[in-house]
Amino acid sequence: MRTPWGVALSLAVLLWVHESHAAPEAQRSAPPPSPLPPGVSAVLWKLSVPESAAPTPERVALGEKLYNEKRLSLDDSVSCATCHDPAKGFTDHLPVSAGVKGQFGMRNSPTVLNALFNASQFWDGRAASLEDQAKLPILNPVEMAMPSPEAVVAKLKGIPEYVTAFQQVFKRDITYDDLAAAIAAFERTQFSGSARFDRFIHGETKALNESERRGWALFNGKARCNSCHAGNAVSPLFSDQKFHNIGVSAHKQDFPQLAREGLKIVRLGDEKQIDELALQTRFSELGRFLVTKQENDVGAFKTPTLRNVGITGPYMHDGTLATMWDVIDHYNKGGVANPFLDGGMQRLGLTEPEIDDLVAFLFTLTDERFTRLNGQELAKQRARKNKRPERDTAVAMGKKGNLGDLAPNPDLAVKNPADIGAYGTETLPKPASTKQP
Amino acid sequence: MNFRMKLWVGTGALLSFAGGVALATGPAERPKAASLKTEPLPRHQVPVSKDGNLVVGMCDGQTSLEVKGVKEGESLTREQAQRVSDELMAAWHQKNPDATWDPPPATRVVAQAQKPPQKQPQPNPPMGTNQPSTGIGVREGGVTAESGGREVRKEAGANIQDGHSYGAFTPRDEAVWAASTQQFVEEGHRVFHDAAAVGGTIAVSCDMCHPDASNTHPETYPKYQVQLGRVALLRDMINWCIENPVRGKPLADGDPRMRAMEAYIYAQRKGVKLEYGKK
Repeated sequence: MRTPWGVALSLAVLLWVHESHAAPEAQRSAPPPSPLPPGVSAVLWKLSVPESAAPTPERVALGEKLYNEKRLSLDDSVSCATCHDPAKGFTDHLPVSAGVKGQFGMRNSPTVLNALFNASQFWDGRAASLEDQAKLPILNPVEMAMPSPEAVVAKLKGIPEYVTAFQQVFKRDITYDDLAAAIAAFERTQFSGSARFDRFIHGETKALNESERRGWALFNGKARCNSCHAGNAVSPLFSDQKFHNIGVSAHKQDFPQLAREGLKIVRLGDEKQIDELALQTRFSELGRFLVTKQENDVGAFKTPTLRNVGITGPYMHDGTLATMWDVIDHYNKGGVANPFLDGGMQRLGLTEPEIDDLVAFLFTLTDERFTRLNGQELAKQRARKNKRPERDTAVAMGKKGNLGDLAPNPDLAVKNPADIGAYGTETLPKPASTKQP
Repeated sequence: MNFRMKLWVGTGALLSFAGGVALATGPAERPKAASLKTEPLPRHQVPVSKDGNLVVGMCDGQTSLEVKGVKEGESLTREQAQRVSDELMAAWHQKNPDATWDPPPATRVVAQAQKPPQKQPQPNPPMGTNQPSTGIGVREGGVTAESGGREVRKEAGANIQDGHSYGAFTPRDEAVWAASTQQFVEEGHRVFHDAAAVGGTIAVSCDMCHPDASNTHPETYPKYQVQLGRVALLRDMINWCIENPVRGKPLADGDPRMRAMEAYIYAQRKGVKLEYGKK
């Protein structure tokens, strides 16, 4: 039988239409490096690293050099590593970071470790990628204070070693985009997932002591950490990558007033002005609001990863909480009330031994290559355990204020909430005993 | 049923009857709460071999098979266990020639439907949308609860994210969820196919009678389960199989292996209509 040519034509058209629709496929991802440590997820890698941004050895080498290059700043005094020091867990251990000429910014420097897996960068998620992120601190007048991308490129062109290095790596003259691409390539090699916790979850029951195991149960149970800091083997960052107002800076701000003023600027100002506000003024405390311009984002900041949390203090977007004990105290009393407080915040009613267990657990999330630093930081924090401005036991225990009632305290000896669910591919080990002392 | 089996079944029935009588006529000071206590599940009492050979029971609670050359207390090899399972299943088919028996489902386990890839995946926040906002389209009337911030962003062509904590989910979130569920199901697949992982002592694993979780019918639970003499949840039946044909210890409700196996069994029946109870 002969096919009528009309049918053949429409078939051909159909096929062509199908082909052209199939063409713009989802961005291909770079193959994950192998082997990955147990606490790093290949799924997250594929979601986070597009093929075009695969960290090649040449780019990583150039990126590392640029990461430590103080000449990227106005007075040759500050590099990326100043605030994200590899020896300090890629942070600076300061409440807020120091820029050129002894200036201080508004934000605590987050760690670069595992930053490649973040859904967005900066505390308010202003940048979508590591490349976007790398460009901004160089131009920030408080941080590295270069006047413009052109000025940065011109300065680098005056350094012969960089002219040849960029030629070799990118096969063209220096551009600001290539500079960011190289730094981001280096940062994409800074993943970490060889914590004591990872050994525990992969079956080595004794990798955590009794107190730490109780802390893991509290983390998933009474302390409700996993509502925002959830983790599993696919997403082992212990962060939902969302933005929450937990009331950290409600101590010092009148949020409704600040939001009213912020709204006026949002409606009348331009993006550049708003970015400047976000970085240099008290409006910084509006957080995610300055990115989304939505009222319910007032004072909301990104849930940070808990990986390496022991060595990346002080804590919160403004570095106002010095120790993990302060952080737990903050949550224990249900945060600080303000009209934009996240609905998930409530008092927890944790007792002092429970807080100790929770802190002990959090220090097991540090990569074992930082074991010594982790121990030092824990000792330092423990030394000031009794100096805790955030502690308000009466509120936490429901003896003061009106912060709602709590669910019954689970009996860990009967049921350990951490036993539920498969964290990894291995069967969860059963802790030897979860009895409270 | 040979005489020896009859003897065993008869003795078992007698014993359980006697137990029931003992319970019913127990001492009066027995606390009232005891009547709420769940009775132990009936066991499949397999006959004892004359030569001390291993006797394997089937999940119908009646059929059993003596394995020549393997003593009680010894474990089978996986091949032997599969052969025993096949023979038991054949015996069951012979007894129940009219029973419907599903063919194994497609082996590919899909935990969560994959969405077709978006034409232009939008990172959130979008890359490089640092254009100045126009400020056009903002409502008049001063600062209100909804004062037009979203409209300003929409004008600028931004990818609006609604809400800061809940309900603002990105393709990245969905990919993480799908992969997490998939991993859970794969863990269930592993346990289902591994006699040691499920705690079996004679090398019989779940897949030997239920290739690719066929004939598990999770969508029909809860239902009256004849072997158990009561209404059972899927996990009750899983545990009964673990205790009897598999010869393992029952798993706790919250046991990660139990949870993973349930996930796997449900995943294999994805799309089948929920129709609880037995017809």
